[in-house]
Amino acid sequence: MASDEEDFVFFGTPIEREEDTISRKKKSIAEASGQLRTLAPWKQEVRDEEGRRRFHGAFSGGFSAGYFNTVGSKEGWTPQTFTSSRKKRAEIKQQDLSNFLDDDEKAELEGNSLGTSMQFDTFGFTAAEIARKQSEKEQNERPSAIPGPAPDELVVPATDSIGVRLMLKMGWRRGQSIKSSKSTHYDARREARKAFLAFAGPEDAEAEDAMETAAELPTDDLNRFQKSTPVYVLNPKQDMYGLGYDPFKGAPEFRDNKRSHLPGNRESGHKKSHPKKDGLFSFKPRNVAPGFGIGALEELDAEDEDVYASGYDFEAFVEEVEEPSRLAIEDKKKPSSKQNDGVLPGFKAASNTDYQLERFDPPVVPKDFVPHHKFPTTLSVNQKLTEAPPPEVPPPVDNNLKVLIEGVATLVARCGTLFEELSREKNQSNPLFNFLNGGDGNDYYKRKLWEARQKHGDKTKPLLNEKVAPNAQKMSAETRGNILGEKPLNRTTKELKPVAPATDNVNLQFHLSDTFTEPALFVEPTEIAKPFQHDPAKQERFEQYLKEKYRGGLRTIDAGGSSKMSEAARARERLEFDTAAEAITQGKWGKESQLSSQQILGASTGLGLQFTSGGSEMNGVSQTEEVTTKSMFPKREEFQWRPAPILCKRFDLIDPYMGKPPPPPRSRSKLDSLIFMPDYVKAATDDKNTFSNISSPQVDENRRTNVLDAEDKVEVENVEVENVERPVDLYKAIFSDDSDDEDENINTDQPEDPTKKIEVANTALSRLMAGDFLESLGKELGLEVPPDQPYNPPEAIKKPTVQDIPQKHEPIDNDAHKNVSRQNTKELKETTFKRDEGSSDDEKSRKRSKRDYGSTGDSSDGYRDRYSSSRHKGRKKETKAKRDKSSSDDEKSRKRSKRDYDSASDSSDGYRDRHSSSRRKGRKKEHRKHSKHRHHESSSRSRHSADKEYPDSKSERRKRRD
Amino acid sequence: MSGDDLPTKEANVLKGHEGAVLTARFNKDGNYCLSGGKDRTIRLWNPHRGIHIKTYKSHGREVRDVHVTPDNSKICSCGGDRQVFYWDVSTGRVIRKFRGHDSEVNAVKFNEYASVVVSAGYDRSLRAWDCRSHSTEPIQIIDTFLDSVMSVCLTKTEIIAGSVDGTVRTFDIRMGRELSDDLGQPVNCISLSNDGNCVLASCLDSTLRLLDRTTGELLQEYKGHTCKSFKMDCCLTNSDAHVVGGSEDGQLFFWDLVDASVVSSFRAHSSVVTSVSYHPKDNCMITASVDGSVRVWKA
Repeated sequence: MASDEEDFVFFGTPIEREEDTISRKKKSIAEASGQLRTLAPWKQEVRDEEGRRRFHGAFSGGFSAGYFNTVGSKEGWTPQTFTSSRKKRAEIKQQDLSNFLDDDEKAELEGNSLGTSMQFDTFGFTAAEIARKQSEKEQNERPSAIPGPAPDELVVPATDSIGVRLMLKMGWRRGQSIKSSKSTHYDARREARKAFLAFAGPEDAEAEDAMETAAELPTDDLNRFQKSTPVYVLNPKQDMYGLGYDPFKGAPEFRDNKRSHLPGNRESGHKKSHPKKDGLFSFKPRNVAPGFGIGALEELDAEDEDVYASGYDFEAFVEEVEEPSRLAIEDKKKPSSKQNDGVLPGFKAASNTDYQLERFDPPVVPKDFVPHHKFPTTLSVNQKLTEAPPPEVPPPVDNNLKVLIEGVATLVARCGTLFEELSREKNQSNPLFNFLNGGDGNDYYKRKLWEARQKHGDKTKPLLNEKVAPNAQKMSAETRGNILGEKPLNRTTKELKPVAPATDNVNLQFHLSDTFTEPALFVEPTEIAKPFQHDPAKQERFEQYLKEKYRGGLRTIDAGGSSKMSEAARARERLEFDTAAEAITQGKWGKESQLSSQQILGASTGLGLQFTSGGSEMNGVSQTEEVTTKSMFPKREEFQWRPAPILCKRFDLIDPYMGKPPPPPRSRSKLDSLIFMPDYVKAATDDKNTFSNISSPQVDENRRTNVLDAEDKVEVENVEVENVERPVDLYKAIFSDDSDDEDENINTDQPEDPTKKIEVANTALSRLMAGDFLESLGKELGLEVPPDQPYNPPEAIKKPTVQDIPQKHEPIDNDAHKNVSRQNTKELKETTFKRDEGSSDDEKSRKRSKRDYGSTGDSSDGYRDRYSSSRHKGRKKETKAKRDKSSSDDEKSRKRSKRDYDSASDSSDGYRDRHSSSRRKGRKKEHRKHSKHRHHESSSRSRHSADKEYPDSKSERRKRRD
Repeated sequence: MSGDDLPTKEANVLKGHEGAVLTARFNKDGNYCLSGGKDRTIRLWNPHRGIHIKTYKSHGREVRDVHVTPDNSKICSCGGDRQVFYWDVSTGRVIRKFRGHDSEVNAVKFNEYASVVVSAGYDRSLRAWDCRSHSTEPIQIIDTFLDSVMSVCLTKTEIIAGSVDGTVRTFDIRMGRELSDDLGQPVNCISLSNDGNCVLASCLDSTLRLLDRTTGELLQEYKGHTCKSFKMDCCLTNSDAHVVGGSEDGQLFFWDLVDASVVSSFRAHSSVVTSVSYHPKDNCMITASVDGSVRVWKA
């Protein structure tokens, strides 16, 4: 250190200046003084008097002036934005001096060069001046032969020709036309004026005219000098035509005349004050009141317009008509302007103008006209209603027939008589359809038809019938053709399939009654189904909901209508409606609307009027039109919104989404979380209903009791099953988990029919499994495997009673089958259990479904994909038919819920009436595939998942026991 | 309550702001009031005695809204500087600045426990800020609005906000749902009725609209004033009998709540009445105006 100190280098003397009051300065000085002592010279920093570091060294920026170390802009060298040289070739920029100058330099430069540019030296004065100065300067500088200043005239360079100078001397000014028309032209005009004045009497019109000309003249005088510079004014556009339009294209002989009008040619431009008669159409638009269209031949001069914009001419015209005696005078008086006789050779001026003002009176409004449009709906409805009702007839004994008749009646009422004829034709040979041809049940059919018509009459108009009938025809041709031929029983359920006409009707209904006043708002009229057809009250509420949703009306009925329901039930229903509405909006209701097609038939009889009469409602609407437009706003919408957990905490509230996975995007979230879960639950109950031999359709209110009912059955089944379930661990390990989802997978390929039960498939499946490889397995393990037994699925529509079930299981004595049945009951229990725990706690059920999904997902992903692809294929048709462009994930979600649903439904061993053999065959194949696949799967995994599932069910059961 | 009881007599003029006063708010018990304005200050007054108590300066731009906690210990304010300030009343210091809004903040409110500040911004968002933690990040951003959010109200369980997109949106924290009531007209200011069942929305078509909160039903419309281009407050009287609103011409309007008739209107200010705040108990009201004054009105 000591040696270092000796190496100190001092820069000047540090002087404390008192005026340095700025802290920075002080600081810098302090630093500087400090530096002096402490730092080696290469470490010292040079700072300016403000204490700023200006020099940074070459590597850290160099000298900093202005903007930090850069050029004179804040941005520094701004890179040019890239432009593709392909489209736009880089142009070579012309560089000039200013590009290389700094701002101050530029300013300096510009300060010097202020002056007139020779370019604009129109008259050469400046040039002359400069030249003169120059010459003077030169003269001063060089020695001349002639002593003394030379006279200016001698030295002035000849910028002007002598001719010009002569002209200037004569009084000509630059820019003025050389043609001196003054004398002749002016004299002629003066004469004309005199002539006018001579005629000018006390009459107003003439005085005006005279004034007019007088007013015209001075402007002309002015104009003459300004405008007589043809050099500058090339061809000013003075007409009102479009650019490039030549009015004389077809008739060039008029062009000369036109040209003579042009103000560029002033001499003829003035001719209107001349008594000149050679003009072609010089009567010009003066006779035309301003504002009447301009014909191609009527040339409006710009100046004419200017001068006569007052409408004076129109008056003159009127006057002319009134006083024909003065016409002659006027003719002379304004020969060129008013009644110019100039005619084309071969033409004669018409003595009277046929230019007539045509007036069109507005059409007379009839006295009894009411500015309101009326629709003839009520009339047709009345007609329908006036039909004499057929007598009430007791329904036929055969329940099936009754159902069939009712179904057909509803359909016919909907689709028109054409449908009736069609089905009559089709089913001529079918004894079941005898009622169409007057067989037994005909009376009942008639009665039903009348009822249905009455019900439906408000919706369908005769007009509509024509429109809808072909539609129905089409539908029946393609859908019924394959179904009807085989089994009439199928038909009863399938018959409601022509949804399209029905929805059409409904749509129309909605259009008429609902959206008529505000079509703009009703955005989604295309697909409206009746998702809750089995429950009229609910359907009504749903419709109300829909109305509200799209009209944004006031939700008063909601509260009143369902006042019986609890708050939770109402909320749940609302969610349900949301879901349904959304599904409808996206046009994918299709499947779900068929959900309870079985019930629809039965319920259709008990169905009240689902829609109020369109006519009456519309009247009300038209009356309250104003109110509704007002009530368009406020429009209420409801969304899911997820408050942040901490927000809930801070508001001291319980997070409604506590413990739930982060919400998916809003649009999907509804679908995922809400959709179909109610349906699922409902389906389960329905299953129970049928299971417990309650054949009539259930409404929501009954659900509770039904559930209880079903639970009892479950108990029964549990008891039966309990003793069977012990020894089948291995099988369970193999089957328990997988069979679920397999079943589900399989059964999703019947998307059209949600009410289908899965038992048959289930048992068949397990049988197949047994046949395929259980045998071998069993043999290996020393278990006895009985040979396959033919299995008869129940064909009849009759629902099996509880007692049937054990019977059905009896012949299959196999462990595997017991396992399956256990499986079934397990599922059943699960569903009922779930339903118990607040059936529409959608989150829960979703979780559950997710779990199902997950547990099956990892093990069966491989073939699920395969399935989904095949299923997609199969489904493609129906989706097309539904005009549905459902996205794949929607599809997936539906699939999933479907699967859930099926897994629920398969537990009830109800009627599987519609298992056509072909379908089973197809399934057999699939199962083979499965089994193979399972071979590949490690058994440990399946065991694992089984374990996962098993305690669940067990605990549930225990709970149940309690 | 007849028209006589309305606070139509000028009791005090609170002068001190330079330039327009944009907001004036009573505190919870109505003994004090706060005002904020273009001069970037927040002022604390005793309106009943007409005394200026304190000035809070920290905002970089105009103060658009201010709210005080029920216990009078903290103030939150917002304004053109895109920040929400969380003040200590007694020291006059800024405890926290919440940055995050992308543009001007129009309105700000404490929740019931003064633990959360909810701010409404021109950036079409509502942001909830936590006063308890030291985080300066918003605990929630609600950005379902389509346009500038002008006004926000809080209940115990809900956040209600009005936006220029014409909606009054209710975010129910307990239910986890959002209700959007589209009024069709830009909403300038919303104000809750004292019973909490209705919300009064001032729309830019010079109409105040009263909505039923449970059904979204339009109950009444109040017209007569001018409100087309300014952010102007409206409120209900503490008895919910009348609706109070300012006008762009400086007038003050009282409507009957039920039949929407103008009960009283008088010229309160020489310029736009930007803010009105009604005393929670007495027949007293403060109004703020572009003319730079805050006036106290009593019956």
